[in-house]
Amino acid sequence: MRGRNSPGFVHKGVSRLPDRALLLMAALIYIFLYAPILVLMVFSFNEARSTQVWEGFSTRWYVALWNDQSVLDAFYNSLIVGGTSTIVATAIGTLTALALTRYRFRGKSFADSTIYAATVMPEIVVGVSLLAFFVAVGFGLGLTTIIIAHVAFNISFVTIVVRARLSGMDESIEEAAQDLGANPVTTFLRVTLPLILPGVMAGALLAFTLSFDDFVITFFVAGVGSSTLPLKIYSMIKFGVSPVINALSTVILVATMILILGGSRFFMGKEDR
Amino acid sequence: MEDRRIQERPPDAPPVDRKVAVALSGITKRFGDFVAVDDLNLDIYEGEFFSLLGPSGCGKTTTLRMIAGFEEPGEGEISVAGQPVQGVPPYRRPVNTVFQSYAIFPHLNVFDNVAFGLRRAGVKGEELRQRVTRACKMVQLQGFEKRKPRMLSGGQQQRVALARALVNRPKVLLLDEPLGALDLKLRKEMQLELKNLQHEVGITFIYVTHDQEEALTMSDRIAVMNEGVVQQVADPATLYERPRNRFVANFIGQTNLFSGTVESVNGEKVTLVVPDGAKVEAVAQDGAEPEPGSEVHVAVRPEKVRFGAAGDNVCTAEVRQIVYLGVSTQYITWLPDGRKLALYQQNIQDAGGYDVGDEVTVSWDARNCLVLGG
Repeated sequence: MRGRNSPGFVHKGVSRLPDRALLLMAALIYIFLYAPILVLMVFSFNEARSTQVWEGFSTRWYVALWNDQSVLDAFYNSLIVGGTSTIVATAIGTLTALALTRYRFRGKSFADSTIYAATVMPEIVVGVSLLAFFVAVGFGLGLTTIIIAHVAFNISFVTIVVRARLSGMDESIEEAAQDLGANPVTTFLRVTLPLILPGVMAGALLAFTLSFDDFVITFFVAGVGSSTLPLKIYSMIKFGVSPVINALSTVILVATMILILGGSRFFMGKEDR
Repeated sequence: MEDRRIQERPPDAPPVDRKVAVALSGITKRFGDFVAVDDLNLDIYEGEFFSLLGPSGCGKTTTLRMIAGFEEPGEGEISVAGQPVQGVPPYRRPVNTVFQSYAIFPHLNVFDNVAFGLRRAGVKGEELRQRVTRACKMVQLQGFEKRKPRMLSGGQQQRVALARALVNRPKVLLLDEPLGALDLKLRKEMQLELKNLQHEVGITFIYVTHDQEEALTMSDRIAVMNEGVVQQVADPATLYERPRNRFVANFIGQTNLFSGTVESVNGEKVTLVVPDGAKVEAVAQDGAEPEPGSEVHVAVRPEKVRFGAAGDNVCTAEVRQIVYLGVSTQYITWLPDGRKLALYQQNIQDAGGYDVGDEVTVSWDARNCLVLGG
């Protein structure tokens, strides 16, 4: 809502030299960012085993991917981990954000700073400490430990995203709801939640993405037979880069793009309606 | 001062038999060490347009929020319609609020915004539709029911906030500087509209504002607050004509203040000596008897001072500044001892004709010169 009417720059054609230089710079940055990904995508359709020489178009690696049960298992595991940890972390993270913005309580500033610290904690440290923790309490490694680990780091991200949304919200809107006879539960369901929903969805999307491609932490807390997709790709790559991996990466990329674009369209739509 | 107040009833004190809508007794509210409201006692009557007026930080909004239930008083008791509301949450109080920021629900259209309170109260179907439609009509928003709030102007959002509150038929409507965000012209229009609306629905309005002109225009009675303390509660004319203390005299309209020593008191009449030795004739507050020899302040409104020697207090002064105000002209004159004295002259055909630097004789009557307390 805010800033929607801020005036944009008006360009009357790219004519002057500085503008051209700027355009060139932008083009180079785009190439730098996307060329490797493009190469990967192109070679996933290569007929040959080689990932360096183009020998013609083929979808055989996609077929091979589809027939590789271990890859499908890993994909399934990733969905389970991503889905479960996203739901749990979004619920906890949203409530945490509400508590941090709406209430004053003892230890609030401590909670506040530790939430932020968790997002910059080196993953290797988190991974090692979680592993040590699970071993210490005698918790068998497997999908459950991966989910717990992902929930742990996702809570912080969801909290931060939802909080940003909450802090931009006029508190008197919730007071107005109460003033009009809505008890705290109704106020939350009818007013607060609909208003922060874009933030909650963005947080959930971020959580799912982070969970889906997490490698380091997952590597430490995964047990036998609980490989997620990133772990699977890593183990495959040990035996040389196969075009199957290119195909798999392309699938993940496309799926992620659809998710993100769909998500942002959903949020934009919400704002515009 | 231009008198735009609408006379709904004589500016006498409200009849004694009127029912009290909101009673505040001994209310004190502290935030840490800061005393926001200090031992506040107020009775607000049913059907009254009551304003809480004061500078920012005077405790007026805190008072309103305590009536609404968003803050609990530290000490004292609040009753709404005869019922104590101590510990009653906002959603169970028979009051509704129009917020300064309007606080319209941005995800709901106008209809759903207005219907929000009714739905919480279990009103549905045809009755809901009718009451919402009627409320929208009352604030001239018919046809806007399907609009989203962001497609409305500030004035229209204001109306939605009003309709959303009034549709619930509250015992008391609380308004927290609702016109603050509107431009001057619209604000003036809405002032009159609000006043008419209040007359129409007959609901008690408690209106918080820092704008003295706004309060004078709309209110039946006004409580002037400063630093958490009520300075005076009166109807607009009394507040203006008989301010109780320096704060009220200064805050409501413009005023000329002198300090002096009381020389003699004769009934209501008070004679005092100002620092340069001149004598000033004044009148005491109702019932007040200043001690001879005590230091007091007196106030005289600029429009009560006139050119010429036809008054109880006469002195010579030099015109220092002339401000043309359209309907009147303001002259700032300096008395021989350097005190400033402002006066207004109505711009009636060819009146005035003084220039900066002119020596003039100015005068005012004792009855318009009030000894202030506090």
